[in-house]
Order: sequence, then C-alpha cells, then structure tokens
Amino acid sequence: MKFGLFYELQLPKPPGAPTWDPDAERRIYHEMLEQVELADRLGFDYVFEVEHHFLEEYSHSSAPELVLAALSQRTRHIRLGHGIVLTPPAYNHPARVAERIAALDILSNGRVEFGSGESSSDMELGGFGVDRSRKKAMWEDATREICTMMAQEPYQGFQGEFFSMPVRNVVPKPLQKPHPPLWVAASRRETTMVAARLGMASLGFGFETPEELGERAEEYWRLVREECFPIGHAINPGLAVLSTFMAAETDEEAVRRSAHGPGFFSYSLGYYYNPVTGPNHRPGQTNLYDRFSELPSSERDGRGPLVAARLMSREQIAAEEPTDEVQRALFRAARSGQAIGTTETIRRNIKAYEDHHLDVLVLVAQCGDRKHEHIMESIERFGTEVLPEFKERHEAEHRPWREKQLSGVEHPVNSSI
Amino acid sequence: MNRPEKIKDEALRTRVAHAYGQLRAGDPSGAVRTLADAFVDLLVRHPALLELTTTVRGRPIPLVTRWPAFGANLVLDPEGGQPPRVELVRERFALSEALTYYEFLVDLAVDQGL
Repeated sequence: MKFGLFYELQLPKPPGAPTWDPDAERRIYHEMLEQVELADRLGFDYVFEVEHHFLEEYSHSSAPELVLAALSQRTRHIRLGHGIVLTPPAYNHPARVAERIAALDILSNGRVEFGSGESSSDMELGGFGVDRSRKKAMWEDATREICTMMAQEPYQGFQGEFFSMPVRNVVPKPLQKPHPPLWVAASRRETTMVAARLGMASLGFGFETPEELGERAEEYWRLVREECFPIGHAINPGLAVLSTFMAAETDEEAVRRSAHGPGFFSYSLGYYYNPVTGPNHRPGQTNLYDRFSELPSSERDGRGPLVAARLMSREQIAAEEPTDEVQRALFRAARSGQAIGTTETIRRNIKAYEDHHLDVLVLVAQCGDRKHEHIMESIERFGTEVLPEFKERHEAEHRPWREKQLSGVEHPVNSSI
Repeated sequence: MNRPEKIKDEALRTRVAHAYGQLRAGDPSGAVRTLADAFVDLLVRHPALLELTTTVRGRPIPLVTRWPAFGANLVLDPEGGQPPRVELVRERFALSEALTYYEFLVDLAVDQGL
C-alpha cells in the first residue's frame, strides 16, 4: 500500500467574524507547501489536490495547477496528483487542461497524476453554467479528448455536443507516454465500477471502510480484466481511499489535536452538496464554522454521521460506543480504518486496508481548524514510524499481487502504483 | 460481488444482459432505455423496493431515489396513486451515464436478493 496526502485547503472563518484574517489564505497555502515538502523527504508517494470553486471555508483550492507547479519545484519524488481537475468544458477548456497537464509533467520531470471529475455542488455547477443532468456526459467527452490531445500529433479535432475544435497540434506533450496516469473522483460504488470499465484508477472520496473497499476491490479488478473499454490511451488500474489522519504521542493527544477537523470536513461537505442548503448558501455572508459550532457535540466529533451509521445501526452504536468522548473517537477510528492515534494505533487501524489490497491510502491531515505544527508532527511520525514497513510490503507483496491481477490484460498500462 | 449472473429474477436478468450487449455494441442510449424499462418494471412488481432507505450523509433517504438523474429520471407520485415511471428527457446518453445506470440496477437487484 502506498500513501498520499490530500488537500482541500479548508479555511474556517473565525468565530463570529464575517470574513477571514487578511493573512489567512496566504498562510494555509504556504503551510501546505511546507507539509508536502516534508512528506516528500519522508517518502510519501502522492499528494492530491482538489479543484473547487466558490466553496468558501470548505475548499479554497481553485487553482491546483499553480500549487502543484510550485510543488514541482520544491519536491523531488512525490507524485503530483490532480484530485481532481473539473473537465466539463464550461469549467476548463479541454485543450487548456491538456496543455497544463503536459506543462506540469515537464516541470515535474514526469510526476503528474491526472485525476478528473465534474463536481456536483450547485455553487460550482451554477457558477459556471454546467447542466447537472449532462455533467457526466461532458466529463466523459472532455476527458477522452484531453487524453487524445496529449497522445496524438497533431490532435485530430473534435465535433461534439459540448465543445468542438479543429485539427491542432496541442503542445507541449507530457513526458509520460501516452499521457499521465488517469484517475477519476468516485464517491459512489457505481462510479468505482465505471472507473474500472474505463481503465481509470478510482480516487474514492467516500471514506470507504476496509470492508467496503474489500467488497469493491474484487469486482473492480474483474472488470478491469474482463470488461474494460479504456477512455484513454493507457489504463491506470488502482483503488485509492481517503482516511482522516492525525498522529501524536498518545491516542488521547491525537484525538485532541484532530479536534473537529473531520467533523467540519463532513459538515461543510454535506452543506454544499445538500440539495437544500447548497443552493441557498449566501456567498460572502454565511459563517459556516459558526453554524457547525452550534451543533450538539455528538454531531461535531468526527465522521460519526458519515461512517458509523453505515457500519452499525443506530441501536448498535448506542449500545457499543463508549460514552467517553476520546474513547468514542478512537472506537470509531478503529471501526472505520481512520489514521488517528499513536503510530501503533494507526498501524493497526489501517492494516485492514492493506489486507483488502488497497493500492493507495490518501490521508486527510489539513481540515477544519487543525494546526500546522500538529500536521507537520503527524507527517513526521507517520513517515518515520509507519510508512517504511508498508512501503516494503508494497514492493514485496502487493506489486506481485497487482501483476497477477493484470495478467492477460492487453491494454497498455501507465501506472505509478 | 454483484455480477448480473446473480440476479435471480429471470425477466430482469434477461433485460440486463440485453443492455450489456447494447453497451458492448456501442449503443449506450439504447442501453439506458432498456435499463429504465427494466427498473420501472422491477419497481412495479416489487413495490417493497420503494420503502427501502439508505443513509446519505447521516440521513435516511429512499434507496430508489439514488437512481441517477442523467436524463432518464425517476418520477414518483408522493401520494402513491400513480405507478413509478422513468421520464426520458433526452435521446442521447454517454457511455459513462449508461454504465452508471447499469451498475445501479445490478447492485439493487443483487443486494435485495431479487
């Protein structure tokens, strides 16, 4: 199993304040650069950065290509992942995406991972005039053509429902041939299976538990072998899952430092993607963190509503969960494979993902109002005390397992996993 | 593993296999129409499916409303007087859309033991 870091660049407003400290956005961007530099030195394999627009507090990462370009000059080994680029043409013209991916691939000496998706928040769809009911078709057309633009010389041109362009040679071309590895954002099981059928790695945004992952992995790999019609010119089979992350000297300290980061992540995600609250967001006025802070503490203390309800019935939760707040958080982390606790606890919690043949565990450290120094310490502890043994097993055990899964696959493969 | 061969309902299994053939033949729009018909037929024959819920972001919602809304949209009568139907708001569908409908229907049938 390999490891990545994941960034939304969350920035909660200060309590009761109408807006942020003037230095706040500069601060989180530069903190992120430092965090990824450290992760690179310690051997983390990937950083994935989102593209979101107008989702204030939840994500201030609207220009990931610039952040990844900055990282390309400050890191040496870590793979630079778009997690993801919004490819419906109203967000980004497909030729511009192909050009930017290729330029970043050149600047980083071939370290780009090309993730794509379409988003489903009203703030974004409405802001760019993207028809919700056609967004998947737009994504598919544009993503397929972007791959061809990177691989074909000259690009043959395209006449489509959502964009058209004549024959042009789209330059530069990426270093990785025929194009960087392909990923797609997958928050539902169906999308993971569509990813398999299109020859893309699935970047699971649903915080799937090890058990859910295990169920999906078997079918995913069968589809890659037997029912794949690739969207690109090379396939990138693989499964990645997000997990919340905070390592500290004791379990109790990790829970304390984790604070309400995952809770705010879950709450703000739900707020923007909810069909009632999302479209009614008041830009520049709502203080989302204040609203979150007003919730009962039982609803703020982690991924309970998101994850625990899927794992157990409410009655089971009531019967089995510890009443102590810290113990409850650790109980939930263990049940759902979260990377929260001492490195020993984390090692135990995430081992189940490895046992279910997960390719990449993507750790969400920066969320809510977590502190930079705690995130740095967390990366340091994980990178020195947990990562090496998993890396060793990846080479010794998982890579041969992947090769076995891929035996008989005739499509070309370009994968960094 | 939710494979179409595991669908017990013969009529549904036959339609799903037909839709898969349409997908392989490069006809995603035809596949969506086949899947939409099969879904509605399933709901009419198994109305208990309408009562099932799933949890999304901590809240229960009717499971069948997770049927994707890519233009073959589920229409439910809140009073229950009219049978469920799928309204096709356009003719053309992309491969990824058709695949998503396909996966949803196979999952639903196998998960519910139909």
